[in-house]
This record gives sequence, structure tokens and C-alpha cells, in this order.
Amino acid sequence: MRRDCVFIHALVLLLVALVLAPFLWLLRMSFETNADIFAFPPKLWFAPTLANYAALWHGDFPHSFANSAIVSTVSTVVAMLLGVPAAYALARMRTRSDMLSLWVVASRLAPPTAFAIPYFLAYRDLHLLDTRTGLIIIYLTFNLSLVIWLMRPFFENTPRALEEAAWIDGASFFQAMLRVVLPTAVPGLAATAILCFVFSWNDFFFALILTRSRAMTAPVAVVNFMNYAGWEWGRIAAGGTLVMLPVLVFSLLVRRFLISGLTAGAVKG
Amino acid sequence: MSLAAAAPLLPAIRAAGLHRQRARFMTLCLAPSLAVLVLVTLMPMLYLLATSFTPLNLTNPATAWNFRQPLQNYTLLPNDGRFVNSLWVQAKLSFWTVGLQLLIGIGFALLLNIRSGMLRALRTVFLIPMVLPPIVVAIIWKVLYTPDISPAYWAFHGLGWNVPALITDPTWALPAIIAADTWEWFPLTMLMVLAALQTVPDELLDAARVDGARQWQTTLYVVLPYIRGTLMVAGLFRLIDSIKAFPLIYLLTDGGPGSVTEVTNYYAFEQAFNFSYLGYSSAITVVLVAAALVLSWVIVRVTGWGAVE
Repeated sequence: MRRDCVFIHALVLLLVALVLAPFLWLLRMSFETNADIFAFPPKLWFAPTLANYAALWHGDFPHSFANSAIVSTVSTVVAMLLGVPAAYALARMRTRSDMLSLWVVASRLAPPTAFAIPYFLAYRDLHLLDTRTGLIIIYLTFNLSLVIWLMRPFFENTPRALEEAAWIDGASFFQAMLRVVLPTAVPGLAATAILCFVFSWNDFFFALILTRSRAMTAPVAVVNFMNYAGWEWGRIAAGGTLVMLPVLVFSLLVRRFLISGLTAGAVKG
Repeated sequence: MSLAAAAPLLPAIRAAGLHRQRARFMTLCLAPSLAVLVLVTLMPMLYLLATSFTPLNLTNPATAWNFRQPLQNYTLLPNDGRFVNSLWVQAKLSFWTVGLQLLIGIGFALLLNIRSGMLRALRTVFLIPMVLPPIVVAIIWKVLYTPDISPAYWAFHGLGWNVPALITDPTWALPAIIAADTWEWFPLTMLMVLAALQTVPDELLDAARVDGARQWQTTLYVVLPYIRGTLMVAGLFRLIDSIKAFPLIYLLTDGGPGSVTEVTNYYAFEQAFNFSYLGYSSAITVVLVAAALVLSWVIVRVTGWGAVE
């Protein structure tokens, strides 16, 4: 039994190393010079350099990075402002909402071209192509349903006696929701907001189709490095690292809620 | 006297008023969200359905809102070799990725389901592939599949194996995509299975052990049947997400070589945004949405969503 246990631990460590290796390799590449990247065989030790990051800093990348941050933040805030009261109302109404569930799930699961085509056509007429506003609106297609779906169970679990006590004390319905119910749901609110941010930040498809230059987001900018002659691998690796950094930090913060977020609430993580 | 008779009625009247006010407040909470949902999801879907009945092509303005032959796109579909091929590629991709992710996910979950502090901490590490932005996953695998800079190719070289450039090889391009997609998403099935394993009652395991079942027999005949609901949901979700596969294919193979990795979703993207056939692409997409709707309905059924407890 003892030996079994040691064996399993060793096996798991080996598997972890195997699973993580591709990810760590990209991280390593971002600190290498182009000569080191193409070295054959790869050097075990190399002199790390920040040259790739410096090159990004002096190019257009900070602009794209800022676009990503602004678009993801605003879309998250709008989705929360609209979705949280709706989730609260749905939690308090005793109606079956099968149709709504189906709609929310379907819009989460629809293939990306289903929204990209109509939005592309509409934005051409509305002059919203290559604007941050355009991206913020299309991100609502998944963020709003996500907020409603993640927040509803939280409100179902807050005791009604709390808000009823507040009404008796003379609070309006709005005050009771804002001052009494919402504070009890803070962990859920934080996790939901973070997941919305991460999903918007990770988007590649919509940004690829709906932006050209002014509103280009960081994921699209990184891929654009690949179109230049000479394949600047160092810069691609550095850009990729910067794109994944905020997502990694945020995801680990909300790892308890990840599963229910990724499966649109079908499974409680 | 009349006052005394009215007194008990007052709370009732006030309660009725409150009830109405409360209903009005709830409607006020719900209405903006529903309005926005209709505007940002329902309207585009209807727009998509409308364009799917037109031969819309951006290079020819006369094709917009032209409903003279509404079903033309749909009658073209079965005879379009590339579309039929894309369905077949999609089926292969979905089958292998869902299957491998379930198998590897179950395997890793069983391995990690031991009471040990270290293993518990290591679970978090396994999260990394699935929380990375999909485009970063694609970049990572692009590096691994590029012989000039890939540590894997260096290792193959050291072992004396002559491995072709996988993503430009017609036989290996699809397996290469499947490998990358499996790496990205097996943690999801793994975590779902791990969570489900915690719910298996100890009495059940003890009973099996008392009856003389070996470890593998318990796993195969007791544990896995017990968590089959979770396995089903995990599989369905991965199945639907595999229909949406995009960044990996876009970056690794661009649907090629030829069209061996061109899944239906990718074909729709190319028709719309490389060739400007938005009408035709809408028809392809409508078919995909219909498939996703059917699968969503299955999920809602399986998980009992939206049901009032």
C-alpha cells in the first residue's frame, strides 16, 4: 500500500510535468533572443532577456492591450448591471422558465458565425465596425446570459426573511435589494464578474471579424505578429504571455466557480 | 364602531398594495434584461435566418434582401462536396476529442482521487490548460508543431525518429488538432468527474469490497455507473463546444492541408468572411444552430434545468 502511494505520487508528478511542459516552453521562449529560440539543440541554460517585452511596449501592442481591458471591463459592468436584478427577480418569482433556460443555453452554445454574420452586416450599416462599442455589445450575447445563470442560484439561497425584515422596517424594495440582499451575495457577484471578464478577454473570433486596427484586441494583435515576414517568435511568445497573465491570475482566484461557469451552470462546481 | 370594524381590514389592504408594488418592482428588474437579450440575441438570430434565404454576396448589392428563391441555399447544401466533407471532418473531430477527453479525464480523476494534500494542491495545476485563452493554446501548439523551434521535434531527432511536419501532413493534421484540443479540455472532464467521485457513498464501495470485488471491478461496475449522469453532461458539453472549434484550426492548419481539417463551423467562416458568400454561409450556420439547439434541449432535459424544486 505504501509503495503504491509513492508510485502514484511519482506518476502524477510526471503527468503534471508533461501537461505543463508546453505552457512553460512558451513562457521560456518569451525571455529568449531569436538566436536562442532557433538554437539546435535547445540550450538548457540561456541568458534571459526582456528585449521581446520591450519591443512590444514600443509598438502598437499597448494600444490593443488597453482595448482588451476596456472592452472586457465595460461589457462586464453592463452585463452585471442588467443581469443581477434580473437574476434576483427570477429567483423570487415562482414561474417555470424552461423556455428562458433553453434560450440562455442555446445562445451560449451557438456556433460563433451565428452571431458574427448578422452583427457584421448590422455594424456595416450602423458604422460600428472596428469600434470598441461594437465589441462591448456583441460580448453581451454571452455575458448577460452568464450573469443571469450564475447569479440566480445565489439569490435562491439567500433567505427571504432578511429582505422581508427590511421591508417591515420601511425600506423600499430597491433599498432592500441593494443594502440587504446584494451584500450577502458578494462572493457570487465577484466570481461572476471575473468569469465575464475572462470570457470577454479570451474572445478571438468576434474581435477578428469585427475589428481592423483601431479597436483591435490583444489576442488578435498577437496573431497578427505571425503575418509579418520572419515570424518573430520571441515577440509572439511575449505577447501570448501578456495575454494569458491576467486570465491565469483571475481564473485561479475563482477556481471554485470555474466549472459551473464553463458549463453555463449545468454543474455546480 | 365602524372604525373598529375597518381596523382589521387595513393590513390586508396594505398587503395587497404591497404585493402589487412588489410585482411591479420585479418586472422592473427583469424587463431591461429581457429587452436587451431579445435585442442582442433574438434579433440577430432572426436576421441570420432571413439572410439564409437570400443569395447575399457583399460584392453584388443586388443580392441583398432578394427572396426570389428562398430555399436555394438549402438545396445547394447536400450537393456541396466541401460542406458534406466538413460534416464528416466535424464528426471525426468531435468523436475523438470527446472520447479522449472523457477517457483521460476519468483516468486522471481516479488517479487524483486519493486523500493526499499534495495531490489536492496539484489539481489546481491541471486547471491551467483550460483557463488559458484559446488563442494562446493555439500559439503553444503552433510552436510545438513547428519543426525549427519545437522541443518535441528535437527529441524525435534525438531518438532517431523521422517525424513529418504534422500540421502540413494530410494524414496527421487532424490528429494533431485532436491532440491539442484534448490537452486543452481534458481538465474540464477531469474536474467534473473528480467532483462527482466525492458523491459516491462509502457504503456502496464497502459493500462491493465485502462482496470480494477487486479495485478495478469496483471502479468499472460500481463507481462509473454511479456517476454516469456527470459523464453524460460532460460529454454533451464537450460535444457542443467541439462544434465551435475555431482558434486551433485557424492558427494551426487554416482548414488544410486541402480541406482535411475543415470543420463545418470553419467552412461557414470561410464562405462568409473569405469569399463574401454571407447568404450561403448563413444557411450553413442555421443548420449548425439547429444541431446546437437539439443538443441544448437534451442537456436541459438531462440536468432538469429550470425546473422548480
